[in-house]
Amino acid sequence: MSNRIGFYICHCGVNIAGKVRVEEVAEFIRGLPNVVVSRDYKFMCSDPGQEMIEKDIKAHHLNRVVVASCSPRLHEKTFQGACQRAGLNPFFFQMASVREQVSWVTLDPDEATRKAKTLAAAAVQRVNHHQRLFARNVKVHPDVLVVGGGIAGMQAALDIAESGHKVYLVERETTIGGHMLQFDKTFPTLDCAACIGTPKMVSVGQNPNIKLLTYSEVKEISGYIGNYKVKVLRKPRYVKEGVCTGCGECANACPVLRPSEWEEGLSARKAIYRSFPQAVPITFAIEKKDRAPCVLACPAGVNVQGYVQLIRQGKYTEAVKLIMQKLPLPGVLGRVCPHPCEAQCRRLDVDEAVAIRDLKRFAVDQVNFRELPVPPIEERKEKVAVIGSGPAGLTVAYDLRLKGYGVTLFEALPELGGMLRVGIPDYRLPRDVLDREIDYLLRHGIDAKTNQSLGRDFTIEDLRKQGYQAVFLAVGAHQSLQANVAGEKDYAGVLDAVGFLRDVNLGRGRKPGDRVLIIGGGNVAIDAARVAKRMGCREVTVVYRRTREEMPAYPEEIEGAISEGVQIHYLTAPVRVVGEDGKVTGFECMRTELGEPDASGRRRPVPVEGSEFVIPCDAIIPAIGQKPDLSFAASGGGLKVSRWGTVEANPYTMQTHLPYVFAAGDMVTGPATVIEAVAAGHKASEAIHRYLQGEDLRLFAEEKRLQPPPGQDWEPVPSDVRKQARARTSHVTPEERTASFVEVDQGFSEADAKAEAGRCLNCGVCCECMECVRVCEAKAVDHTMKPEVLEFPVGTIIVATGYDVMDPSPMKQFGYGQYQNVYTSLEFERINNATGPTGGQILIRDKDGKFTKPPESVAIIHCVGSRDENFHQYCSRVCCMYALKYGHLIRDKVGHHVKIYDYYIDMRCFGKGYEEFYRRCQEEGITFIRGKPAEVTDRALTPDEEGKLIVIGEDTLLGKRYRKPVDMVILCAAMEARQDAAEMGRVFGINVGADGFFLEEHPKLGPLNTATDGVFLAGACQSPKDIPDSVAQASGAAAKALALASRGQVDISPTISWIDPDVCSGCQTCIKLCPYSAIEFDERKGVSVVNEALCKGCGSCAGFCPSGAAQVRHFNEKQVFAELDGIMDTIAAIGV
Amino acid sequence: MSDFEPTIIAFVCNWCTYTAADLAGTSRLAYPKNVRLIRMMCTGMVDPKYIIKALLEGADGLLVSGCHPGDCHYVNGNLKARRRIKLLKEILPRFGFDERRVKLTWIGASEGVDFAKTIKEMVAEIKALGPNDVKQQMVL
Repeated sequence: MSNRIGFYICHCGVNIAGKVRVEEVAEFIRGLPNVVVSRDYKFMCSDPGQEMIEKDIKAHHLNRVVVASCSPRLHEKTFQGACQRAGLNPFFFQMASVREQVSWVTLDPDEATRKAKTLAAAAVQRVNHHQRLFARNVKVHPDVLVVGGGIAGMQAALDIAESGHKVYLVERETTIGGHMLQFDKTFPTLDCAACIGTPKMVSVGQNPNIKLLTYSEVKEISGYIGNYKVKVLRKPRYVKEGVCTGCGECANACPVLRPSEWEEGLSARKAIYRSFPQAVPITFAIEKKDRAPCVLACPAGVNVQGYVQLIRQGKYTEAVKLIMQKLPLPGVLGRVCPHPCEAQCRRLDVDEAVAIRDLKRFAVDQVNFRELPVPPIEERKEKVAVIGSGPAGLTVAYDLRLKGYGVTLFEALPELGGMLRVGIPDYRLPRDVLDREIDYLLRHGIDAKTNQSLGRDFTIEDLRKQGYQAVFLAVGAHQSLQANVAGEKDYAGVLDAVGFLRDVNLGRGRKPGDRVLIIGGGNVAIDAARVAKRMGCREVTVVYRRTREEMPAYPEEIEGAISEGVQIHYLTAPVRVVGEDGKVTGFECMRTELGEPDASGRRRPVPVEGSEFVIPCDAIIPAIGQKPDLSFAASGGGLKVSRWGTVEANPYTMQTHLPYVFAAGDMVTGPATVIEAVAAGHKASEAIHRYLQGEDLRLFAEEKRLQPPPGQDWEPVPSDVRKQARARTSHVTPEERTASFVEVDQGFSEADAKAEAGRCLNCGVCCECMECVRVCEAKAVDHTMKPEVLEFPVGTIIVATGYDVMDPSPMKQFGYGQYQNVYTSLEFERINNATGPTGGQILIRDKDGKFTKPPESVAIIHCVGSRDENFHQYCSRVCCMYALKYGHLIRDKVGHHVKIYDYYIDMRCFGKGYEEFYRRCQEEGITFIRGKPAEVTDRALTPDEEGKLIVIGEDTLLGKRYRKPVDMVILCAAMEARQDAAEMGRVFGINVGADGFFLEEHPKLGPLNTATDGVFLAGACQSPKDIPDSVAQASGAAAKALALASRGQVDISPTISWIDPDVCSGCQTCIKLCPYSAIEFDERKGVSVVNEALCKGCGSCAGFCPSGAAQVRHFNEKQVFAELDGIMDTIAAIGV
Repeated sequence: MSDFEPTIIAFVCNWCTYTAADLAGTSRLAYPKNVRLIRMMCTGMVDPKYIIKALLEGADGLLVSGCHPGDCHYVNGNLKARRRIKLLKEILPRFGFDERRVKLTWIGASEGVDFAKTIKEMVAEIKALGPNDVKQQMVL
């Protein structure tokens, strides 16, 4: 039986009939096969039009219907509805667009008529192959997602909550409210924005149906209308919601200043902050990036950024306490550390690194260690023996003592301190600094025994018998390496450097000679040289075989030595000692040249033949290196010694081959820095603690090994940082220095220290100084919080993500960013707002950038970035009105003497009460000048322009040019789409239009719908609009969402893919092509099968399928070929 | 031939280019009469055999147009179309078709002006190429 097709062509008034000869088309179609009825009518979409179709279906037993009229995107559903009502399956319908595609775009009536005939015939041919299809009915989840907590988002959420449905409101910032809450007053009623906004915010916060997720972002949405699965990332505030009372003590204590985003950068906030006092939720938040590079560079992990910030605030005791969490010897390191942190300091990108070590020393010098309290300690029963009281030993002793273990220090020398005491001279590290710090540590209850040497006075076994459950070895590297120079042992007057320094430091040193020669280029050599000078030696010479660049000693030490009169011979290698009568008289050396690099990477010194010469001297001090004295280990015991003469220990746990013996410091690494010894000590104490608690250290070591490297997401170095030279500490003059062992470096003055600390850029933002934790009475601060991912289902989504104000910097002619009194509208709102940077007073900035006096004249420039081909062609809609508002408010607040100049192109006062407000402002005396200004400059040409901003332009009504000096310029900057709108759009499945705002389904009839069913738009994210329109749109979007949610079900299109199992060969290529993973493979049948719930009908599978097994229903190949045939046959018959 | 009026068949995606064509219509932008649109849900749905059939039937120009890469309503259907059309254009010359007759463009839903412009340009280009003489070739 052949089909019975009914054809209808619409006049659409004159829209179609004006160009297309509709009766002719109907006549043409009447002649085609299977066409039973062919009519034309004025308005097919009207009731009579639709009734016509319904009547014909019944009367003529039509089983196919074709309508040629407007776009199917407009009325396909209308006519499908008519078919359905007449009992015909709606998918037996096809539409041809002869309005948008023909009559409206084709000028010539003949051409238009031919095109209409072709498209109509194609539709008729295609409809023969249509199949009966039934819409799928799916449940709609009752919950709704609203994205964006501005006025539109809040209104939509409240409306939905009122209906009894549950709504998730996701807001990216720490508070809801959006831009509206940044305003002061709103036009035209001059309601205070906070007064009308905060009650809505509070309602949202308190409504039991609204789940408020602030400081959160929607990351992913999957599913389809009625059945969306939402993934939200909740960023960590580090402050507990519900516990924080919003008292603000934390912000008072926080040392880190940041430009405030809420205040548009006009003033500062702290790293812990709340946007404004009426924020909902009231909870504070901490801005935290990855740990600053200085903290990461410190081997011991000292919180450098933290203590530098505390010093800036003058909180020296807090700074020292923070340092001591990772470093028990702050005063020592503040003098001797080689500061690897300073090498990583990002201030280097601006000028010089922050003087971190000097700042540490300064803070320590302000604190009286004798008055520092000792915390209460919970005693444990285990006890640990620590051998060696150098930095590693002291660190382990302190760490374990704090944990409650019984700790005994065994020190071979008569005084505690290790190399700190007997290696580093007093002019670098004064005795009393070391004493007071060691005393403080001992006051924690550490038992210390001096003159107890391991091997000589006791053994490790003895310690075991005495009940020590663990032993920590840190005997350092106190043995000098032999110089292996001929004659070394033959003459008196050759001292070893370590012994020499030790004797001097223990108070039993003697002047080695009158003319002393030191061999070596390390810190020990330089220390020996400078000490010799202070002991009264007339001539002190250092001999080093490479150049100054390769000397391992610290540059400041080398400089110090030279300024004190020490002679340094570079490229000079030792040959032999020269002596007479058993005493040293000289030292033979030879010159060297630098050759190829050796294993250490330094260039090898090559002796120059025949360059020998003798330096006269009476004492020689070789200082070419140290090694640990491991004679105690010779008696067995199980410790493994490496080929460099150091003890082997696990690099993560410091455990030796004896499970209860741990070792760290120079005895494991060879001579290294103090801070490395401290860092190693921490590793050891952590491991010892776990060992004593019975933990498996192998697992612990593996955990440490697999730890991922730290992140490097730091605050970018601001582009507007002013260069500031690094402060220098004061030093004792070179003449005064060598007279005694007084400390050479005298440190900072307080003013210099605070200024230096102010140079820190706060790379990690929050410095984790924990001041906020200390002052928070509610105990709401939690620095361990992590980001959280929430997943939940919703049925519908409303996007209300708002707008951004354009940055007018690219428009150099207006001087924004150049002249400090040129403001954007949003900045001016903050100045006006009582919670803003000026407390609501309208003031201008003086030459120091401070808000001081009120303006006497203000220029307001309209259309900055709007109605502009170079930026945005659209009109931002609200600017004319807020410009009027500003003029009115300025005169109100500052005085009626203030001159206001509005530079406009057109005045757009379209809304309710707007034109009346405009009239009122005119009557109040605001001056309106038509014509967009050309330029704002500060170059004065006359005396009355001095110190002012001059607006230059043409008054287009008068046809005259002007120069107007004013105190303040406000730019009505364009409202533009959010920077990341396109990216966000992809998450929701919605597009952006050419203007950057989200694309609605239809600009006239569908401003709230989007291309994706179930996703609606509300507010400024769709286009620039004012508050009343945003609120109205929000309620509209809520109604649309509720329409679906309350019905609980929705019909979805059945035009999805189907794979014919008889044709499918099982190649499975379609499976990989499907963007929704909607195709599965049936192993038993060997064919691919479409999952109807997931398929959206895109046709990626059908477009590829080599056998044609996969076809999208209602778009299958028979239908497309038929449509194509219809076109080509008709063109062949009547021409194009 | 100066009076040669090409026939151009355009397979366009429902969400972007078809909407742009509608916008061109509502904006009353005039463009040449030569194009006939066939509405697809996505350019990814366009099977190369539709294009080949059209050429065999004597179509002078073929346009496939969809959403901009990254904006496909179905995630990446347009990217699949890009691969298929590229491959098709490589094969067409072997069957005696000038591959310049087949064109792939991206026209977004708000780009009505671009749609009209694309049609105008394509008509001019196809006119320059001359008529598709496949029917004569087949007879021979």
